Amino acid sequence: MADREVAVARPRRWAEPLDDRMRDVDVDRLLRLEPFCRIDPADFPSFLPLRGILRNDARIRRLRPGELIFREGDYGSSVYLILHGHVRVVLDRLPPAALGRELPRPQGWLATIARLATRSRFPEVRRQAGPNGGSSTAAAPPRDAPRRGLFVADLPAVLDASHTAVLSAGEFFGESAALTRTPRAVTAYSDGETTLLELRWQGLRDLMQRTRVIRDHVEAVYRRNSLTVHLRETPFLAQLPPEALQEVADAADFQAYGRFDWHESFDPRARSRSGGWIEDEPLIVEEGGAADAVLLVRSGFARLSRRVGNGHYTLAYLGRGEACGWSETVASLEQGRPVPRRASLRAVGYVDVVSIPAEALARHVLPFLGPAERRSLADGQAAASPESVAALVANGTSAAGAPHEQELLEFLVERRLINGRQAMAIDLDRCTRCDDCVVACAAVHDNNPRFVRQGPRHGPLQIAHACMHCVDPVCMIGCPTGAIGRDEATGVVRINDPTCIGCGSCATSCPYDNIRMVEIRTPAGELWIDEATRQPLLKAAKCDLCADLPGGPACQNACPHDALVRLDLSRVDRVAAWKHRP
Amino acid sequence: MSILRRRWLRSAAIASAVVGAIAAETARRRDALEPTAAFTGWWLLGTLAFLMLFQLRKKIAAPPAGSASLWMRGHLLAGFAALPLLLLHAPWRLPNGALEIAVAALFAAAWCSGVLGFYWTRTLPRRLSSVGEEVLLEHVPRLRGQIRDRASAAILEGVRLSGDATLGEFYRQRLQPYFDSAPRRTDRLFPSPRLRKTLLAELTHVARYLSDQERSAAEQLFALVRQRDAVDYHEALQWRLRAWLVVHLALTWPLLMAAGLHAWLAYVFAGDGAAGGSLP
Repeated sequence: MADREVAVARPRRWAEPLDDRMRDVDVDRLLRLEPFCRIDPADFPSFLPLRGILRNDARIRRLRPGELIFREGDYGSSVYLILHGHVRVVLDRLPPAALGRELPRPQGWLATIARLATRSRFPEVRRQAGPNGGSSTAAAPPRDAPRRGLFVADLPAVLDASHTAVLSAGEFFGESAALTRTPRAVTAYSDGETTLLELRWQGLRDLMQRTRVIRDHVEAVYRRNSLTVHLRETPFLAQLPPEALQEVADAADFQAYGRFDWHESFDPRARSRSGGWIEDEPLIVEEGGAADAVLLVRSGFARLSRRVGNGHYTLAYLGRGEACGWSETVASLEQGRPVPRRASLRAVGYVDVVSIPAEALARHVLPFLGPAERRSLADGQAAASPESVAALVANGTSAAGAPHEQELLEFLVERRLINGRQAMAIDLDRCTRCDDCVVACAAVHDNNPRFVRQGPRHGPLQIAHACMHCVDPVCMIGCPTGAIGRDEATGVVRINDPTCIGCGSCATSCPYDNIRMVEIRTPAGELWIDEATRQPLLKAAKCDLCADLPGGPACQNACPHDALVRLDLSRVDRVAAWKHRP
Repeated sequence: MSILRRRWLRSAAIASAVVGAIAAETARRRDALEPTAAFTGWWLLGTLAFLMLFQLRKKIAAPPAGSASLWMRGHLLAGFAALPLLLLHAPWRLPNGALEIAVAALFAAAWCSGVLGFYWTRTLPRRLSSVGEEVLLEHVPRLRGQIRDRASAAILEGVRLSGDATLGEFYRQRLQPYFDSAPRRTDRLFPSPRLRKTLLAELTHVARYLSDQERSAAEQLFALVRQRDAVDYHEALQWRLRAWLVVHLALTWPLLMAAGLHAWLAYVFAGDGAAGGSLP
C-alpha cells in the first residue's frame, strides 16, 4: 500500500451551509424578529457567532398553497418558524396515498456488481477529502432536504375528513422530532402563500445551549404540542369525543425525566457489572406510592420494576404509547381509597411522561371504555402483581412465561440495547467464526468492515458492535454539520460522507461503541492529511444497513449458518424466539 | 415446527425425490438393457459442479442469487445426494485404473471431509461459546501478550510487597514458560484441559507456603491461567474450523478437474455410441 500523503485543509463546519442562497440581508432581517431580536450576540463565542448559525444552519423557504413541509412518519431534525402566512397541521393519520410517500429504491443488480468489480484495492478511498468527496462504495448520502413541489393529494377531501390546527406567523413547530429524534407525529403543509424559517438541528442545539430565550421558548412549545398530539395517538383515548379529550388534556400533566443527552452519563461497561445503578435512573413513580394517576410514556423508554431483596426485578420496559398504573388507579377509584403502586417506573435515558390524574380518568375516560377494553388494559399489567414476582424469580421464568426471557430482558434494558431497531445479533452456538460476514461487509464498504464481530453477550446471543439504527440515535446530537442523520423515509441512520469533518463527535456519543473513525486515502492509496497539523484526516464510518444494495444487509446474506440476523431489540419476544429457535 | 426446520424438511424431501427419480430412471434403463453410465455420470458431474458454485457465491458480497444460508442448504443436500448418485453410477465395485482410483479417492476424501465439516460446524461453535469471552482469532497473539504482561506485573507486585521468593520461584519455573510460549502443535490440534489443571493444582499446592501478599498475587495467577487456557482453546477450535475449510476446498478443485477429465476421456473412448449415452 502506498505510504505517501496528500495534505489538504481540514474540512470545517459550515463548509456546506444548509442553503447557500442565505445572504447577510436575510440574517439582518431575522435578527429583527422575535425571538432572535432578544438574543444577545455576545453570548456566542467568536468561533460560533449567532450570525454564522443563522446564515449557515438556517434557510428561508417560500411555499405555495398546499405544499408539504413534512409528513407524519418522516424522520427529520429541523424546526420551523413561520415568518409569514399560515401552516396547517393535520392531527389525524392520513392515508399513505395522500402523503405520496415512496421508499428509496436500491441499486440494480448489475450496477451493484459493476460497482463492486471496479472498487479500489485500497481501504477507505475518497476522491476528495472535502465536501465534494465521497467514498468509492458508499451509499448515497442522507440529506434533510426539502421536497420542493410536493403537495397533499386531494387536499379538500383531507381537510373535510381530518382534525387540523392552524399555526400563524411567529409560531414554532416541528420541535418534537428535532428534540426527541423521533418521526414526525403530524403532517404539516402551507395554508396559502407561506414563508418559513427552517433551522436545522445543529443550529437549534447551539441556540438552545447558549440562549435561555430560545431554550425556554422551544421547550414550552414542545410540551404544549406534544401533549395534545400524544393523547390523540393513545389507543384508549382515541375514541373519546373532542370535548372529553380536551378535558383530559387540560387535566394532564406533562413531565420529562432524564436528559436529552443521556449518553453522556451512560457507561455500558459499568452496566455489565451488577450494582445499585438502577437507582441512578431517574425515578418517575415508586412502588408503594399512592396510585393517583395513569402514566403514559410519550417518548423514550422506562423501566417497570419491583424491589426484590436488595435489588430490582425488571418486569417490563415501556415504550412510546404504553401505560403504567392503570389497574391500581382504577382500583383506587373503585375502592374509594388509595391503592399502592405495584411497581416503580424509572427513566431509561430520556423519557417524556404524560400523567392523567385519577379524577380525570373517572370523569372523562372510563365512561367511554367498554368492559373488554378495561380488562385488556388491566391484563397488560398483570405481571406486576406481587405474587408473580416471587414466582418469577423462583421459577426462572418471565412475565410472559417463556424460560429465561426475564434474564434477556434485564440484559437488554441494563445495557439500553432496547434502543436498537436493527441490531446485529449473532448466535454464537451456530457461528463458526468464519468471518464471511466481515468479508462481505468490507467488500461493499470501502474494503473496511463497518462492524466488529464482538460485543455484549447474553449466553450464546451476542450483540455485535454494529450500528443498531436506534430509536433514539444520540450519535446525531453533537454532529456539528448534520452529516449523520436518518434517512427520511426508512429511519436508517447514515453518514453523509462529504460533509463529515471527522470531529469524532458521533463516535464519542454512541453509547454502544458502534461508530469508528477511519483514516481516508486517495484513489492512489495516499493518506489524506491535514496540512496544518500533518495528522491523517478522519471520517466517521458505521453500518448503513446496505441500504442501497438490493437484497439487504450483506452481512446477513453472507452467513451460511443462519447465525446472524438484524433484530429489533425492543421486541424482546422476537429476540427470545430467535435465540431459542430449534 | 419452526420455519427453519420446515424449510430443511422440504428441501430434503425435494432432494430425496430427485435422487429417487434418477434411481428409478436408471433402473428402467438398466431393465431395458440401455446404458446408464452417461446418464448417472452427468448427474454426478452436475452435482459436483453445483457444489463448487457455493464457493463462487461466497466470493460475491451482494449476489442476485439468494443468501449464503440458502446456498449452504443446497450444498449440504447436494453433498449428501452425491453419495447415492455415485453408487448409481458405479454400483458396488472397486475402481480400477489410475484416473478412476484418483477420482474415487478424491471423491471419498472430499465427501468425508464434508461430513466431518458438517459435524464440526454444528458442534464446535457450541463448545466455543461455552468457554470464556468471545475471542477473535486475529487478536489471539495480542491477548496472549496482555495476559503474559499482567501475570508478570502481578508476580512482581507480589514479590515486591512480600519480600518472599516462593511464588516468584514457582512462577519462573512453571508459569513463566506457559505464559511466554504459544501452545504446542499437538495441543492446537487436540486441545485438552490437562495442562491447565496441572498448573492450577500445582499452584494450589504451593499456596500453603505463601504469605498473604503472595496469595493475593496467586489469586490473580489462577485467573490468568484460566484466561490463557480459554484463549488457547478458542484459537485451537477456530483454527481447526478454518483449516478444515482450506482442506475441503483444496480437495474439491482437484476432484472436479479429475471428474471432468474422467467424463471427457469416457466420451473420447466411448466410440459412436457415446452421444447416445453408452459410457464410460
